[in-house]
Amino acid sequence: MSRLICPFCGPRELREFEFHKTLPNAGDTPFERVYLRVDSLTHSVEHWQHIQGCRAWLHVERNPSTGAVLVMRLATAPGVA
Amino acid sequence: MNAPRQGARLSATPLRFRFDGRVYTGQVGDTAASALLAAGVRAMGRSVKCRRLRGVMTAGPEEPNALFTVGTAPAVVPNVPATQLKLTDGMVLETQNRWPTLRFDLTSVLQLGSAYFGAGFYYKTFLLPKWHFWEGMIRRLAGLGKAPGRCDLPAPSLEHSHCDVLVAGAGPAGLAAALAAARNGARVVLAEREPLVGGELEFEQAQIQGRTSAAWTAAALLELARLGARVLTDTTLVAGSTGEMVLHTEPAGMPGAARVIKLRPRALVVATGAVERMIAFVDNDRPGVFLLGAAERYWVRYGVAVARRAVLFANHDRVYVAAGRLAAAGITIAAIVDTRASGALSAEAQRVATALMAMGTECLAGSAILAAQGRVRVTGATVASLSAPGARRVIACDALLVSGGWGPAIHAALQEGGSKRYADALGAFVATDAPDWRATAGSADGAMELAGVLHSGVAAGVAAAAHAGHRGAMAATPAASGDPAPQLQPFWRSPADETEEKRQFVDPQNDVSVADLRTTLAEGFIDIEHVKRYTALGFGTDQAKFGGQLGAAIVAQLRNEPVPAVGTTKLRPPFHPVTVRSIIGHRSGARLRPARVTPLHEWHVAQGAVMEAMGLWMRPRYYRANGNNATDAGIVEAGRVRTKGGIVDGSTLGKIEVVGPDAAAFLDQLYLTKASTIKVGRSKYMVNLREDGMVLDDGIVLRLSAERFLLTVSTGHTEHMVSHFEHYRETEWASSALTLTDVTDAWAVIVVAGPECRAVLASLLGNAWAETLARLRHMDFATGQHEEHDLTVLRASFSGELAFELHCRPAIAMALWASLVGAGLAPYGLEALDILRLEKGYLVSSELNGQTTPYDLCMDGMVALGNPCVGRDLLDRPAFHEPHRPRLVGLRATDGHSPFLGGAQLTEDAVTAVPAGYVTSSAYSPALGEWIGLALVSREVAEGGVLYVRDPLRGGDTTVKVVSPVHYDPKSDRMKS
Ligand SMILES: [Zn+2]
Repeated sequence: MSRLICPFCGPRELREFEFHKTLPNAGDTPFERVYLRVDSLTHSVEHWQHIQGCRAWLHVERNPSTGAVLVMRLATAPGVA
Repeated sequence: MNAPRQGARLSATPLRFRFDGRVYTGQVGDTAASALLAAGVRAMGRSVKCRRLRGVMTAGPEEPNALFTVGTAPAVVPNVPATQLKLTDGMVLETQNRWPTLRFDLTSVLQLGSAYFGAGFYYKTFLLPKWHFWEGMIRRLAGLGKAPGRCDLPAPSLEHSHCDVLVAGAGPAGLAAALAAARNGARVVLAEREPLVGGELEFEQAQIQGRTSAAWTAAALLELARLGARVLTDTTLVAGSTGEMVLHTEPAGMPGAARVIKLRPRALVVATGAVERMIAFVDNDRPGVFLLGAAERYWVRYGVAVARRAVLFANHDRVYVAAGRLAAAGITIAAIVDTRASGALSAEAQRVATALMAMGTECLAGSAILAAQGRVRVTGATVASLSAPGARRVIACDALLVSGGWGPAIHAALQEGGSKRYADALGAFVATDAPDWRATAGSADGAMELAGVLHSGVAAGVAAAAHAGHRGAMAATPAASGDPAPQLQPFWRSPADETEEKRQFVDPQNDVSVADLRTTLAEGFIDIEHVKRYTALGFGTDQAKFGGQLGAAIVAQLRNEPVPAVGTTKLRPPFHPVTVRSIIGHRSGARLRPARVTPLHEWHVAQGAVMEAMGLWMRPRYYRANGNNATDAGIVEAGRVRTKGGIVDGSTLGKIEVVGPDAAAFLDQLYLTKASTIKVGRSKYMVNLREDGMVLDDGIVLRLSAERFLLTVSTGHTEHMVSHFEHYRETEWASSALTLTDVTDAWAVIVVAGPECRAVLASLLGNAWAETLARLRHMDFATGQHEEHDLTVLRASFSGELAFELHCRPAIAMALWASLVGAGLAPYGLEALDILRLEKGYLVSSELNGQTTPYDLCMDGMVALGNPCVGRDLLDRPAFHEPHRPRLVGLRATDGHSPFLGGAQLTEDAVTAVPAGYVTSSAYSPALGEWIGLALVSREVAEGGVLYVRDPLRGGDTTVKVVSPVHYDPKSDRMKS
């Protein structure tokens, strides 16, 4: 059963989180970065915020077909303090 | 009065209720259906389309016919199955779909019914001239109960909770699953739709571990209590998604949940049993046709014999043991009509059959009921051998008890993953491919014999507990014996001439007959989901529980295909009808959402302010002392600010502090103009862009120190803007050294505006502040203390007058406000604020509407400064520079006095149909003595000239001239004075 696991708060209700956007992953021009998405049936990279919790921004990788959460970590780029 | 009935659910306490105006008596524990049957009432409704008289057929939520409107206005609930309505004293019930009375319904008397309402009737008949022409008549004739005009039902309590294992259904499988899980250490919740646990054990004469089923059930409940399991009766699992299971507890009384439980179990066991199904034969919808299991339930639960002399019709062995029990209840079993050939019986069934035959029961093998006799109520059954259906004869009786087998109730087992598989032995679908957190048990999983039911319950309970982290050794299945295996042979419909098929009902609630299914297939709707939509098969309150499987199987027969090739329609939540009140709970009226109030809120209310919600915030729109409505009061309040001065509560303004070595560089990225060029002690009006170039928000940015900024953002945008800044801080500029803090609630804001405001403030705040006030230029601010609390005074204006924003601590806000009022400055509200800003051409969300670029809003100068911020790149898109893009302009009526309203379309003249733009804001300007407005109009017409205001719905057509957006004091002399 899917509950989202916040790196700070642990497993929390889905309704505490807010979907922000699917990450751009097609193209490099400003226009492409804003508008073009690879609309994958099975793998979606997204930004969410734990808006009613610790407010952390989260990098989420999901399978939109099944709802399975594959990766959930802080959106802060790895290696950044 | 007769002696009270004896039944497992009844107390002897009598109760009275009203049914279609007549008073009836029942007993505490009765459902509406049981009490009415006990009183001899057979007719309980008319069908939706054909208006055929109908009686109750079932004893459960699958009831298609007996739907009542319950209560008296305004506390009314329509479409309540009589089988689910647990009576309380004084309850008022009405039948539906009849006019003027149930027995004398005009539509059916006029024979409007069956002759016309075939499959696709509405689609075919009411195409011309158009649907709306017919709609009024159709709505009167068709449909179920009337929706109440308002909802006056009590709100349910709401519980959020957790457990290891939720077991839905407390029949033998559910009890066994709950026991197994609890014994292994799991925290268990066991939910049972009915008022009592036990399920089939209510009437199945079973032995479990050498005890009667009743003794075993009682012991199971005691042990569950001892193990800390929570047993909820009257509680249905109505829906579940993303791991949250929604349970509704509906005790006796008005329909609707008294308690809603949103439960997060780690694992779920679906033990929701199976739903018995009908067989299609001619006139199988007459009052007096019951499902066989319903007859058993009415007797055991409520002491009601639904018949004096019954004919039973089935395709399995269970009909014989049921017949034996019903005979013991005093019902004469005239005949058992078994569709299977002779010789199929088990020893147990044969023993009962022999005993019944000795009492005069006819046992007809390889036979079928072809038709029910009797119109108002059943008077007999037309039977024939399946091998010679022409040789018909009638057996007199007053009820037909039918069982075509059972369909596992797999609604809950098909949500969130999983599929279904056709089980030939059942002639029904069972759930399969369940996710690891869910198991199905008992007859819901196709187990039909008690030993197998208990075994699958134990296995599911052990598996669920293990999934929740409780692995144990407790896995013993109790020894049990009960009713024999059904040995069912699927049988869906009796032979009939094609002309009779329109009276072979499959889904009585929607009057779907075999003829409708045949027509639908002939017209090319082959897929079962299309069949559903063309015929309404499985629509309605029972949501395919009664007729879904039967209809799909007959479609398969008509298509000459196996049942699995047709499948069934998708089962969707809720499992049974729920009231809207149960869904919205307490979230209505003032409890719809929380209200945020400012430190001055109590004062506003006490002074007669009319409050208005902006997002969650409550703000004064106007003060009643200044006028009877917003328009009148706003003119008075705004006029006074320009002539003398006034104060307004600006505390709702969003305030965000950004602090750190990288604060300036960070803000430069997120605003169209640079924050880094603001000097300490100065502020600047700035706007943010979305990444697509549209203006997101505007506000004033104050530089408190080299590394400390205070951003103000729009009231209704604050939460979004905080997230917006946080997003960039944690993603693109995650290495920046800065903190972001929402300080909205840390500061109350009082705006003091008008020609007298500086003098009043100087005398109130004292000499030190007086000097500061004299020194502050437009957009300067100063920080200091007042009454030992922090105070920031910003000279900025949203009204066009000389004005100061006092950012003070909430602790002193009321005292400061009161002293300003005492000094003669009157408060003004949002209406006046809007007039004042409009006179100056300042923007609000009507203009900053998410569809406007800085160019559209005449901010070309800001773009020209060349700051490469978020969204800047996409401003260069050619489409943003085409002549049809909107441009912000001001409007005035050409005649100098006509009003025009925000939202009105603008065209180039009275005949052109294509809009050139629209009015974004308008108001009567007390300073100018006429109506003024702002508009977004195509650049081609933005350069002056005259436009036509089209406002046909509000009757406000007029002509306007395009002017500068700044209507008042264009050089801002007053603001800078
Ligand atoms: Zn969190």
